Amino acid sequence: MTVGKPSSARLTRPASGKGVGRVAPPWRILLLFLAPAFLLYTIFLIYPLAQALFFSFFEWKGTVRGAFVGFDNFSELFGRFPLNEQLPRAFIHNITFFLATMAIQVSLGLLFALLLHRPRRGRSFLRTTYVLPYMISPLIVGYVWALILNPTFGPFNSVLKDLGLDELARPWLGDPATAFPVVILVNAWFWLGFPMLLFAAGLSAIPEDFAEAARVDGASPWQVFRHVTFPLLIPVFGTVAILTFIYSFNVFGLVWALGGVDGGPVGSTDVLGLLFYRTAFTGGINAFGTASALAVVMFVAIFGVSMTARWWFRRLEGGIA
Amino acid sequence: MRTLSRERLLPLVAILAAVPLVAATSVDSSAGPVIASAETSEEVTLTVWSWRPEDEDAYNEIFDVYEAANPGVTVEFVPFVNTDYNTILSTGLTGDGGPDVAQVRSYGGVQPLIEAGQLLALDDEVDTLANFPPLALKSQTGQSDGLVYGVPIAYQAFTAFYNKGIFDELGLVEPETWDDFVAVLDTLAENDYIPVSSPAKDNWMIAIVMDAIGAPRYGGQQFESDVLSGATDFNDPDYVAAIELMDWLLPYLPEDVVGVSYEDSKTLFLTELAGIFIGGSFEIGYWRNNGPDLDLGVFQVPAPPDSSAPASVVGWYDGAFGVNANSDSPDAALDLVEWMGTPEFGQLYTENIKQLSAVPGTTPEDPLLAEFGELFGASPVSYLHLVNFRYEQPTGDSLLRDGVVAMWLGQATPEEVAADVQTGLSQWFTPGE
Repeated sequence: MTVGKPSSARLTRPASGKGVGRVAPPWRILLLFLAPAFLLYTIFLIYPLAQALFFSFFEWKGTVRGAFVGFDNFSELFGRFPLNEQLPRAFIHNITFFLATMAIQVSLGLLFALLLHRPRRGRSFLRTTYVLPYMISPLIVGYVWALILNPTFGPFNSVLKDLGLDELARPWLGDPATAFPVVILVNAWFWLGFPMLLFAAGLSAIPEDFAEAARVDGASPWQVFRHVTFPLLIPVFGTVAILTFIYSFNVFGLVWALGGVDGGPVGSTDVLGLLFYRTAFTGGINAFGTASALAVVMFVAIFGVSMTARWWFRRLEGGIA
Repeated sequence: MRTLSRERLLPLVAILAAVPLVAATSVDSSAGPVIASAETSEEVTLTVWSWRPEDEDAYNEIFDVYEAANPGVTVEFVPFVNTDYNTILSTGLTGDGGPDVAQVRSYGGVQPLIEAGQLLALDDEVDTLANFPPLALKSQTGQSDGLVYGVPIAYQAFTAFYNKGIFDELGLVEPETWDDFVAVLDTLAENDYIPVSSPAKDNWMIAIVMDAIGAPRYGGQQFESDVLSGATDFNDPDYVAAIELMDWLLPYLPEDVVGVSYEDSKTLFLTELAGIFIGGSFEIGYWRNNGPDLDLGVFQVPAPPDSSAPASVVGWYDGAFGVNANSDSPDAALDLVEWMGTPEFGQLYTENIKQLSAVPGTTPEDPLLAEFGELFGASPVSYLHLVNFRYEQPTGDSLLRDGVVAMWLGQATPEEVAADVQTGLSQWFTPGE
């Protein structure tokens, strides 16, 4: 099968540079345009980041900075019981949350986006319905699901019992074996609309001509998807993966509402966001020191992985092109 | 075009996503206290910060009495949301614009403010501190200097609430011995009532329930002083036996208790599905408001077999008022907290706020609250972990409650739970210091 390569001329920017009427503006003008964004970026991003890094090297007495302690706060983070057990456990939970969420979001999100791509009756209604949970605060979503799954009053177990499935009724959020999978599924319900929207946008950006040309060449619907649609969606996969990764490492409200601030039962739903909250706000006299160290570790992890993933997806994209 | 926008978007999003967490720790770290200037005017407005918005009207009535007796002084009560209060207060005390008098937490909760030099020591300034028992002053004593930084406001005690209607229906009476207690639980269970409603999803109640039932078993006050002096530790067989009591209690708790939240457990008791609720004096207001028809009683949980201490009621001093070291009117603020240590304030407090006042000799109007006060007064024992082991991380109660849940789920033995408590605490607690 031959599928026409997209015309590179259509997707490439016109060459820029001297000689085509473009002259670099004076640096003062450039500075004027850059200054507002640079200032905001510095005040709200660079400065807090640098400050957290700075704070993490000091001992704290409440809100008053004490002596320089080097990497003591970091060694406390990795050495002090039970923090030394909670940190890797929370990290693994965030990774699991990301992988499971990706598996569900990418498969179902893409499927729904594909199903809703072609004009059909009820398309707008369904699209809105899938996106609707995403509009609600994660705290409310978590609270409502905690009520639904409540072992004492919740309707979920009542329905199971009414159907004669008594042996399936369990304390979904109270059993360490089921609590975290339930959190992942509730999150999938909550967040599915977001990747679906991204995939839908990606699909509508692909010119219909490509698929049409492939069909004229005799490609089956699967071949059209596999060799035309899918490769052109790779950038969207990259975006979804990186946004899901960042979301997964910052997830807080939903898990807090479902598992409590301790990520219970017995830490089975604990994630880095909850651990950070506990360290920062109930962490005792030196809470600022330990929490700043944790914030730095989390930032390095999120930023590092995001940049690596971005580089990897760009390579992948380049390979396909 | 898609590639271009993504290139710029991703690093930005990555940083944005990490920043709220990082920024949460970014609080100005300006220098310590400054000596406040003396008042230049006779008219003084004192601001009092608190974490109790629900008490605003009651406090305003109380301060009206003070204002009437002290012309020229206006007391402005400013409450904040409980959950954000610690952060708001520690930031407020750092610079200008903070309160003159602040409601502060007790024990470990007040130490960051003391360590930061944000509160005035009251020992030589407030004579009414002499009215309080040592247990009350301990709640406001700086760990490093032994000085007192707050005038205690209230105390809480916990024991067993019971539904008198259910007890009458089943012919039950308040248990006086452990065997009576077991018989009451068995009778409730046989009649399809949940014997004891208690949560384990919100597991902070676990340390409370354990002390309410197990304090006599591990030795109450004697164990407390032994563990503080280093004569014993949490691996002590008596402490392990008290943890075992929690395992014994499990069949009497709601089904799937690890999924039951604090609100659920209160609802089970309010809706008369449960006969007993082990809780604190701080819950009386909730019962009165949400179950006005509920016929409530309280009883002291009898001492379990092999106890080395008598049955007791466990409690702790809950909150105090301290003076901001940066206050513009320190003298007037000290006068106000001095008044807060008088029986007049204590009586107004217990009548208006409906809590047990920390000032001795005050009588609550609510008979149930009064009964809590009498029970605690007769045999007071400190809530072991809150009073002694919340000064650093990990706290004693967080280790205990995580351990008990693990034990209920079959993941830990009582010995392992006790060992975890000991291991966790020994990282920052040195006996005898």
